[in-house]
Amino acid sequence: MQLMDYIAARGLLKKYGIKSIDSSYVRSADEAVTFSKGKPIVLKALSDKALHKSRNKLVELNLSKDSEIRQSFNALSKRAAKFKPYKILAQHMSAPGIEIIIGSKVDPQFGPMVMIGLGGIYVETFKDVALRVCPITKYDAQSMINQLKSKRVIAPDPKSVKLLEELLVKVSRMVTQNKISELDLNPIILHSSTYDAVDLRILK
Amino acid sequence: MKMKFADLKHMLDPKSVAIIGASDKPDKVGHAIMQNYIDVGFSGPIYPINVTSDGKIMGYTAYKSILDVKKEIDLAVISIPAQFVPKVLEECGKAKVKGVVIVTAGFAEVGEVALQEQLVKISKKYKLPFIGPNCLGVMDTRSRNDTLFLPTYKIDRPKIGGVSFVSQSGSVGSSTLDLISAEGFGLARFISYGNAAVVDEVDVLNYLAHDPETKVIIFYMEGVRRGKEFIEVAKTATKLKPVVIIKGGVTSSGAGAAHSHTASLAGSSEAYDAIFRQFGFVIANDIEDLLYYAKVFDTQPLTTGNRIAIVTNGGGHGVLATDAVSKVGLVIPELSKDSKKVLRKKHAAIVSIRLPLDIGGDADEKRYMVALDTLENDPNVDAILLITLFQTPGADERLVESVIAHSKRSKKPLVVVSTGSTYTKSHTALMEAAGIPVYESPTAAAEALAALIKYAKYKAGMVV
Repeated sequence: MQLMDYIAARGLLKKYGIKSIDSSYVRSADEAVTFSKGKPIVLKALSDKALHKSRNKLVELNLSKDSEIRQSFNALSKRAAKFKPYKILAQHMSAPGIEIIIGSKVDPQFGPMVMIGLGGIYVETFKDVALRVCPITKYDAQSMINQLKSKRVIAPDPKSVKLLEELLVKVSRMVTQNKISELDLNPIILHSSTYDAVDLRILK
Repeated sequence: MKMKFADLKHMLDPKSVAIIGASDKPDKVGHAIMQNYIDVGFSGPIYPINVTSDGKIMGYTAYKSILDVKKEIDLAVISIPAQFVPKVLEECGKAKVKGVVIVTAGFAEVGEVALQEQLVKISKKYKLPFIGPNCLGVMDTRSRNDTLFLPTYKIDRPKIGGVSFVSQSGSVGSSTLDLISAEGFGLARFISYGNAAVVDEVDVLNYLAHDPETKVIIFYMEGVRRGKEFIEVAKTATKLKPVVIIKGGVTSSGAGAAHSHTASLAGSSEAYDAIFRQFGFVIANDIEDLLYYAKVFDTQPLTTGNRIAIVTNGGGHGVLATDAVSKVGLVIPELSKDSKKVLRKKHAAIVSIRLPLDIGGDADEKRYMVALDTLENDPNVDAILLITLFQTPGADERLVESVIAHSKRSKKPLVVVSTGSTYTKSHTALMEAAGIPVYESPTAAAEALAALIKYAKYKAGMVV
C-alpha cells in the first residue's frame, strides 16, 4: 500500500465534490508567510513514518503573525527531522466545529467499506463509528448516522443529516471507483451547513 | 452477479438413505447414526454399507459397497475413517447418489487440506453436492431424516415447526437443538455444515430463504467464505423472512499495524456486524437470543410501530418492564380517550388509568381480558407486553385459557412475561405451546419486541 501525495489526494476528493481546506506545500518560512496572506494558518509535517501527527507534535495550530509562522516553521522542521523524508504543509485554519471521521478500508471478505464516526483525537477512545459495505445508498448513509451514539451531536438537524448523507455516498463512490485501500478524512470539521476536511490520508 | 447454489433438497428430504460405515458395534459413530434412523422413524428404505459386512447390520440387509445396492439412493451418510472417504465418495458418484453428508472429521480442520480438496474434485466430477466434512449433518422434522450421531436418549428431538436452524459448529448445533426441543416452537430443518468444503453458508441461506417450510431462520456462523455472494443472497433472504444471526469468533485482523484510523477501527468483527445491519439480519448476542427471537418471529405478526402497552398484575414488574422497554428505544404511549373511558367504567378499582396498566395483585382473567380487549382496539398501541405473575390467587389456568383465546384473535404482537418456578412454568408451557412467546424477564421480552419492530421496519424500507 502506498500513501498518496496530500495535494494529489485533495485533487481526487475535489473531483468527487468532497471539499477539503485550502492547502499547499511550503519549502520555507517565507513561503508559509506568503500562503497565510495575514489569515491564520496551520503547519503540518507530513511523513509516512508518522501516522499520528498530533501525538508526534508535528502540528502547529492557529498561526497568524508573520513572526509566529516563521518561528513555528523552524521548530516544526527540527522536530520532523527524525521522520525524514517529510514535507511541510500549510493550511488555512478551519472555523471551530464538531470533528468527525469518515474513512474507508477494504475488508478481505466483503470488499470496500465506508465508515463514519465521532472524530478528532478521541476517535479510538470512544470508537463511536458505523460501517457499511460499498456501494452505499442514501438509506445506508441514514442508518449509519442513526447508529451513532453521537448522532445528535454530529447531525442535530435534517440539514446536517442530509449533508453527511451526501458526503458518505460521495466517499463510497470515490473509494469504489479508484481502488482505494484505506482512507481517513480525520477530522472533518462540521459547521452549521458546511464542512471542511482538514486532514486526509489515502492509501492506494 | 451470476451465482450457483447447491440444491439441498435430497439431503434434507431424501426418499432413501445409505449409511456408509453402519455397524453392529455400538461404539461406532455409524452405529449411532443407523440407530437414530430406526428410532426417529425414517419412512424410506435404509441401506447400511460396510466393507466388513457379511449380509446383515442391525437387522437390515447390508452391502459391502454402495455400488452393490443397485437401487435409487437419494442420500448417502458417510461415517468412516478420513483416508477412505475419497474412494467411497467416488463410488457414491458412480451410484448416482443425489446428495451426501460427510460426518467424518480429520480434514482441513486438522490441516489435511489436500485430502479435503480430493473430495471437492470428486464432487465436481459427478456434480454431487455434499455437506461437511466434519459436521453433524442435517435433521429434518417432517421427513424424519436425521444424520446426527447423538443418541435420542441424550438429546431430545424438537417437534415439527417453522424455525430452521443452521450451525456451522456441531457442538453449538447439538446443544441448541436440545434447548429448542424444550421450547414451544418447532423446527423445520437443522443443518450443520462443518468445514463447508462444498455446501457452505451461501448455499444454506439461499435454500432456506426459498424453503416454504421455513418461516424463520436462526444461524450460528463462524465465518463467511464467499463474502460477495453472501451479501447478494442475504439481500433477498432477509426480505423474505427473518434471519436471526450470531457470529462466533471475534478476530482482530483490524488490530495490529494499521495504516489508518479507519482500518484500526473497522476490524473483521465490525465488518460482520456492519454486513448484518446493512442487509437486514436480526443480530443475536448469545445463543439465548437466538431462541428468544425465534419464538417471537415464529408466532407474532410484524409491526413497524414502537408504542408498547404494558399490562401487569404486579407493580414492580410493571416498573421493570417500563425500564426495559425504554432501554431498547421503544415508547410507552398515552392511552386513547376511549380506552381511558372504558377502563374507568369497567375497572373502577384501578387508581390510575395509565400505562403501565397495573390491574392489581388480585386481578383475575376477567380483569385481564377487559384490559387486553381495550388495548387491542386502542390506536395508540402497536404491541402488548403482558405480565402474568402466577403467584397471585387470581392467576390460574383460566387466565392461560383467556390469554390464548385473546392471542388467537389479536392482530397486534403480544409477548408475555411470567417469572416463577414450578406452578408458573406448567402454565406458561401451555401458552408457549399455543404460540404465545413467554419470557422470564421483562428485559428479554422487551428485546424480543425491539428485534421484531426493527426487522419490520427494515422489511418496509424504513431507516433503522
